[in-house]
Amino acid sequence: MIVDASGVTKRYETGNEVVTALDDVDFRLHSGEFVSIMGPSGSGKTTCLNILGLLDTPTEGEITLDGRQVKGLSDRERTTFRKQTIGFVFQHYYLIPTLTATENVTVPRTFDNDPGAPERARDLLDRVGLGDRLTHKPDELSGGQKQRVAIARSLINRPDIVLADEPTGNLDRDTGHQILDEFARVADERDVAVVAVTHDELVKEYTDRTIDLIDGEVC
Amino acid sequence: MLRRVARRLPALKMAYRNLSRTKVRSSLAALGIVVGVVAIASLGVFGVTLQDSISGNLGDVGNQFTVTPSGENGVTELTERDIERIERVSSTATVTPMQSNIQPVDFGGEGPASQQSLLAVENPQRVYTTVEGSIPQPLRNGVLVGQSLAEEHDLGPGSAVDINGTSRRVRAVITSSGSGFTLNPDNRLIVSIDRSAREYDRIVVSEPSGTEANATAMEIRRSLNNREQRVSVQQLSQFIGQIGKVFRAVNIFLVGIGSISLFVAGISILNVMLMSTVERREEIGVLRAVGFQKRDVLKMMLAEASLLGVLGGLAGVGLSIVAGAIINHYIAGNALAVFSPQKLLYVSIAFAFAVVASIVSGLYPAWKAASEEPVEALRS
Repeated sequence: MIVDASGVTKRYETGNEVVTALDDVDFRLHSGEFVSIMGPSGSGKTTCLNILGLLDTPTEGEITLDGRQVKGLSDRERTTFRKQTIGFVFQHYYLIPTLTATENVTVPRTFDNDPGAPERARDLLDRVGLGDRLTHKPDELSGGQKQRVAIARSLINRPDIVLADEPTGNLDRDTGHQILDEFARVADERDVAVVAVTHDELVKEYTDRTIDLIDGEVC
Repeated sequence: MLRRVARRLPALKMAYRNLSRTKVRSSLAALGIVVGVVAIASLGVFGVTLQDSISGNLGDVGNQFTVTPSGENGVTELTERDIERIERVSSTATVTPMQSNIQPVDFGGEGPASQQSLLAVENPQRVYTTVEGSIPQPLRNGVLVGQSLAEEHDLGPGSAVDINGTSRRVRAVITSSGSGFTLNPDNRLIVSIDRSAREYDRIVVSEPSGTEANATAMEIRRSLNNREQRVSVQQLSQFIGQIGKVFRAVNIFLVGIGSISLFVAGISILNVMLMSTVERREEIGVLRAVGFQKRDVLKMMLAEASLLGVLGGLAGVGLSIVAGAIINHYIAGNALAVFSPQKLLYVSIAFAFAVVASIVSGLYPAWKAASEEPVEALRS
């Protein structure tokens, strides 16, 4: 088991009001699993993803990631742990416009003095079908191609989990299918757990299971 | 080479890419730095050049001083004994006794003879340089004329003048500078001294260097004024030292004005960096999400600020040297004089100041970017 979360609760204080974004959520994830978290806007999907991705900390509850308790980690430890175990894919791709596809994929390795990174990046881009787009800048790529670059980037650190926030949100249906195919392959071939947060019903066709969230609670 | 540097300094590479995304904005921020560096460096160089030029015009007399009778205790003339005592103080000194007086001189023109200041000098070739002709040794009955006097009466080597009824021949015209302000020969006639009189109204002492001149001057003051105030010693070097002090103060003031422009340039960098921090908020959030530590973001942003400072500073240094060369060409008549250590010091100070100002300006935006929570940045 790669993720074991129990009783995860997240509360925000806005003014005098306390908003409960996640309410006592239990969550387990195994290697190679492709899971989607679905729910309407404001249901706590993104909060859930941020907490799983070590970008946010829960108010209550325990999370064990890759056998390690994440509570009480400093910002620096969380960042290092995140880098080692988690890859991110975002709805808006967030590629750096001045960098080529290969360079964008190696961005997470920038400060690591890793001479093998460009070679691995080219290999990853080749696998997601962009072997002929290595030196293209983001503005020379289509939405689907950009999202593939983002998937390659999420895999450069050899993570155990890939977290995707609305990965098909900006794509047409056909491209959406291709991207979801890509995620399914990543989960199968690399034994990586993939969690996609979405309200796109299409995702259900590809995932092993779906978690429905409504008002911060698992249904 | 560049590739190796880029691999070693990934922050610098990222910084360069980020700055080139907003070329116009980055160039304008760097231009502020260029202006600041040029302002500080050229004002500094201007001050030093002016100081050098004025000190130069005062004559190379730091190693020369004049001993005159103090006027107190009835001492109105210096004697052979004073010369001996001066010579005893320093073995390296060249001692030149002088006697000035006023005599009727007829320059051969129409009209009556006029009263002129005459300076009787022993071995005048030791203290004077010539514009025209040469100083014979000994001068005997020959006469030397100052430049202004020569121009006024159209005199040159070979001209005849009548001093107090005796006709004498002009041997040379001498330059006005190089012999100290108390002895400016510009409007004087120089004749050879009559040592039978054994009384002098001034003695010029020259030493090989300014330091030795200073020591000798002090020793003369001490030993000749031992029992009574016999002599006073005038050193031009003291005067020049005071001028130097004034110029240093003026220079600090000028450079202070120049640094205001660098301060403004720093604010413009702060502004540009803050804008870029706000614009790239999400991107920085992503970088943090994919594993950049806070200090990595800090390094990257500070590298951007320092790159602006270094590039602007280098351009500023180039322009300052050109500006300095022009200033030196017009004030000192030698454009290459800009490469003097003192002037280059101002240029280096300006450069260092530019880099430091840029980094300081980058601190707040860099800290702001680094301390942003990625989850907040990505929510927007």
